[in-house]
Amino acid sequence: MNVQDYISSGIVESYVLGLASPEEQLDFERMCGQYPEVLQARTDFELAMEQQAMQNAIAPPSALKQQIKDAVLPAEAKIIPIDTLAPVIKANWFKYAAAACAVLLAGSLYWNISQFNRNRKLQETYDGLVKDYDSNALRLAEVEDEIEMMKLNPNVKMAAMKGKEISPESYATVYWDSTSKDVYLLVNNLPKPASDKQYQLWALLDGKPIDVGMIDNDYFIDQKRLLLRMKNVSHAQGFAITLEDKGGSPTPRGDMYTLGNL
Amino acid sequence: MNTKTTYSEQELVALLQQRSDHSFSYLYDNYSGALLGVIGAIVSDQEIARDVLQEVFVNIWRKIGSYDPTKGRLFTWMMNVARNAAIDKVRSRGYQDSLKNQAIPDNADNSSMAGSATLPQVADTGLKKVLTKLKEDHRILIDMSYFQGYTHDEISKILDIPLGTVKTRIRSALTHLRTMIK
Repeated sequence: MNVQDYISSGIVESYVLGLASPEEQLDFERMCGQYPEVLQARTDFELAMEQQAMQNAIAPPSALKQQIKDAVLPAEAKIIPIDTLAPVIKANWFKYAAAACAVLLAGSLYWNISQFNRNRKLQETYDGLVKDYDSNALRLAEVEDEIEMMKLNPNVKMAAMKGKEISPESYATVYWDSTSKDVYLLVNNLPKPASDKQYQLWALLDGKPIDVGMIDNDYFIDQKRLLLRMKNVSHAQGFAITLEDKGGSPTPRGDMYTLGNL
Repeated sequence: MNTKTTYSEQELVALLQQRSDHSFSYLYDNYSGALLGVIGAIVSDQEIARDVLQEVFVNIWRKIGSYDPTKGRLFTWMMNVARNAAIDKVRSRGYQDSLKNQAIPDNADNSSMAGSATLPQVADTGLKKVLTKLKEDHRILIDMSYFQGYTHDEISKILDIPLGTVKTRIRSALTHLRTMIK
């Protein structure tokens, strides 16, 4: 089939009027690209159809224009995000902004949680330090008081008690305030007692022992205090420490560990 | 605002893609009548034809991005959008029902319904008028294929004519049609 026969076969009209099959359409488009005569025949028939349609136009009622415009322009608003470029960019912008916000939010949350945990740890450390500081300050104040009492008070007398035969290495010191009658004991060295035994301090007056108090066994476990405050005694010539049953004894029964005179 | 009153097809396509008020007005003012004529040759009821015209403008507005100038003129494309919308309407169940419902008042008061007479259903204007000049066997084939949207295969079955004959006769009818239009 030559080109003229092809043009006059009815394919041109068939294609333009939308009656050609998909295969015929593809074939015709290929022929249009290949043969200017085919393209020209197509354009001629299109113009003839257009002219024919214009001549047979039916004027729509004038009110229809606004009605259709109202239908078209809202449709346009719905279609824009899909069809045109600018709103797509806008949509992308929004998408990226939303993604960035999500990332920032996640980052912020993570940061907040880590800061919260960090703050909590710092608070715990701080609380511990405050507690330590308070107890150390208290301890320092006590030690200062004790040193004050020992060194600066001219009324304080000292009795250095040396170890007896049973424990020669034992050593303890009693500070006695002759005006206030306060008794303080410094344990320089004493063996740790058995749990059912307890050391007892005695004041000696005219050869008679007077109970001045027990040494708490905790003192040997957690030796924090420098000086032990004992019972007051109005008069004394010397002091001694014996190891008694736990809770003490009205008169010394156990072994004497130290003894010293004022 | 825009004083330009005529555009080439190429300019019109670019204008439509702007989707402005002005581009709508230009399109409507220049083509609504011709497109309503195309629709009116398929849809007899004027009111329904106007509904179809609205659908056609919405479709043109939506699908202008898919229009390919290498495959034909813009008007050809719009004309086919109009034809397809009209055929879809005629074939829809709602339209078939409305024809049955309208049959009674149409018959009862023919004088006031002159514009939408039931027989013939479609006004003999435009291409339809050209059609009347064709031979009967050609006329039926163009009517069924172009105005009613039947496929060659469907026509072959309805008329009990071999598919090859349907194709040959339609092609022959179309070449006659062209000589009449020119």
